[in-house]
Amino acid sequence: MIYFYDGTKQSFLTALLAAYSDGEAVLSSRSAQLGLGEQSVFVHADPVRAEKAEKRLLRYDPKCMEDLDLLLRSGADDRDKVALDYFRLIAARKCPVRAMLAEDAVAAAEDCIRRVQFEVHRFHGFVRFLESASGALYAPIAPDNDICDLLVPHFRARLPRFPFVIHDVKRKRAAVYDGEHTFLAPLDRAEVALSADEGAWQALWKKYYKSVNIPSRERLKQMRGYMPVRYWKFMPEKFGDLC
Amino acid sequence: MISEEKLQILTESAKYDVSCSSSGSKRKNEGGIGNGYAAGCCHSFTPDGRCISLLKILLSNDCIFRCKYCMSRADADVPRATATPEEICTLVMDFYKRNYIEGLFLSSAVVKSPDYAMEQLVRTVKLLRTEYGFHGYIHVKGIPHADPLLAREAAQYADRMSYNIELPSEASLKLLAPQKSKESLLLPMKQLQREALAFRAEKRRGYFLPAGQTTQMIVGASPEPDGQILRLTQSLYRANGLKRVYYSSYVPVVHDRLLPAVGAKPMREHRLYQADWLLRFYGFTAEEIVEDDGNLSLELDPKCAWALRNPQFFPVEVNRAPLEMLLRVPGIGARSAQKILSARRYARLGFADLQKMRVVLKRARHFLTADGKFFGTENPAALRGLLTAGEARENAVQLDLFRELEAARTARTGEL
Ligand code: SF4
Repeated sequence: MIYFYDGTKQSFLTALLAAYSDGEAVLSSRSAQLGLGEQSVFVHADPVRAEKAEKRLLRYDPKCMEDLDLLLRSGADDRDKVALDYFRLIAARKCPVRAMLAEDAVAAAEDCIRRVQFEVHRFHGFVRFLESASGALYAPIAPDNDICDLLVPHFRARLPRFPFVIHDVKRKRAAVYDGEHTFLAPLDRAEVALSADEGAWQALWKKYYKSVNIPSRERLKQMRGYMPVRYWKFMPEKFGDLC
Repeated sequence: MISEEKLQILTESAKYDVSCSSSGSKRKNEGGIGNGYAAGCCHSFTPDGRCISLLKILLSNDCIFRCKYCMSRADADVPRATATPEEICTLVMDFYKRNYIEGLFLSSAVVKSPDYAMEQLVRTVKLLRTEYGFHGYIHVKGIPHADPLLAREAAQYADRMSYNIELPSEASLKLLAPQKSKESLLLPMKQLQREALAFRAEKRRGYFLPAGQTTQMIVGASPEPDGQILRLTQSLYRANGLKRVYYSSYVPVVHDRLLPAVGAKPMREHRLYQADWLLRFYGFTAEEIVEDDGNLSLELDPKCAWALRNPQFFPVEVNRAPLEMLLRVPGIGARSAQKILSARRYARLGFADLQKMRVVLKRARHFLTADGKFFGTENPAALRGLLTAGEARENAVQLDLFRELEAARTARTGEL
């Protein structure tokens, strides 16, 4: 049986309860082609049942909801299966399983979570703000995982006087810091009037990027490994290298 | 706003300094902009594979010294530029705000006199901290022969300082950097080490080099063997409390009969970083890694080489070996060792379990048993061949996601 759910925590927990005793269960939050003869059900979030499941799981492992939050942010193809297997294991063992790295379910979940966290770390560096005419900062991003709101605390701590918007153009949502509060909002497209100096600073940055390189030691493969091409789109220093 | 041309000149003369790390400081934001990020952060990567973390720039490249290997030396025919402290400050603020950089790495040629150059550096970082309200990362290079009071003042504003040893022996220093001396580099290091200890002991307010001191040595411009370089490194860590020693492969940008015409092999630098890593995190001593007058093997990483010289310690059993011993197994890094410690509390680990845990076994399997089973080869000649062949490919790719994370944190190093 395929259990479709909408990718939210509540509907995941509801689906987990429904699928728990079904050994053949497949969990999916994406539209998938049904194979011949396969049965499916769409699980609607049930707040009461979800809360019950959450309480029970928290008794087994007080930190497991943080894992769930990160797993559900993952953009990996197999993340629904990974999350299902991991939470099934917690329910079966009735204790934290995080350190049982020889269990497939744990190794897979750990991997998935680390990838999300790693992308957050990377974007602390790779985010590029544009200065708007009003002085607010705007950064478009297209990360693999759903992380734009996770980036906010970092930038808020270092730029407390600057309102900023981190716009996930892939998921059409934005994490906003208005100088006081932070919130998430749906955002399809943004029209940003740039400050008068923005172009000149970008040009200086490109000049710096070019000057600090040592051409006789070219290691492009390594560069692309550290900074994959899919991230270049919004980085001014790489604009010329994307065709 | 600084001109593009000036920026280019002052960056190109600064870029051979390899230190770029922004780690080790937890400086707080106090109302202006910026803070420290203890783990360090890479903002971009250049086509040479290096991380851009800090804006690495000289205040001036107009030098009165004549270090043979340096393209800014007094007698070189190169375009000269000097930036004003204000130009540097606004550049830092606007780059930082856009998240291009994690902070500033400010250095200078010896412009006019050592004291004058150092004064300009101090003025710039003081301005940046006090007038511009910048709390991001600042690394300041110390100018040899400058007044010790200036070094102390710089340390009150900087997160990290470095006096570059550049040449790993006094003889080479005399020959290639005649105006510098061992004392002019080591004494300020000692002074700052003492003052930092006093600052911490007295629990004074503010900061005094929270990210400590580092240094850099050029490899391959002078004849010192790796053994000598690593012993010097070890003593800098132990006696001078340095946080990092960087190695920079000599790149011939200058022609001089005292200098080799070809650059050092990048592999040599890579091996030195690996050996350095063994000193700092894996409990090895310089003496274990390489003999006094010897060089590191270019074919084998230093841990493999040590293991092959010391077969009496192997194989070790993953279910029993203490952490120190796991760390000595070729191919097992700190993270894998931790994973093993954690997982073996729950189950007896076999090879299949190690694989599931993503412990890379290609080299390690020759040096360990899992649940009593051995899957390596014991024939020393065959083993050497296998290890060397694997190495070549790995160095070409070297891109496992999580090793990358660690590498990214420490800029350019040789994580094993
Ligand atoms: S002191 Fe030596 S290394 Fe430094 S800029 Fe002057 S010539 Fe170059």
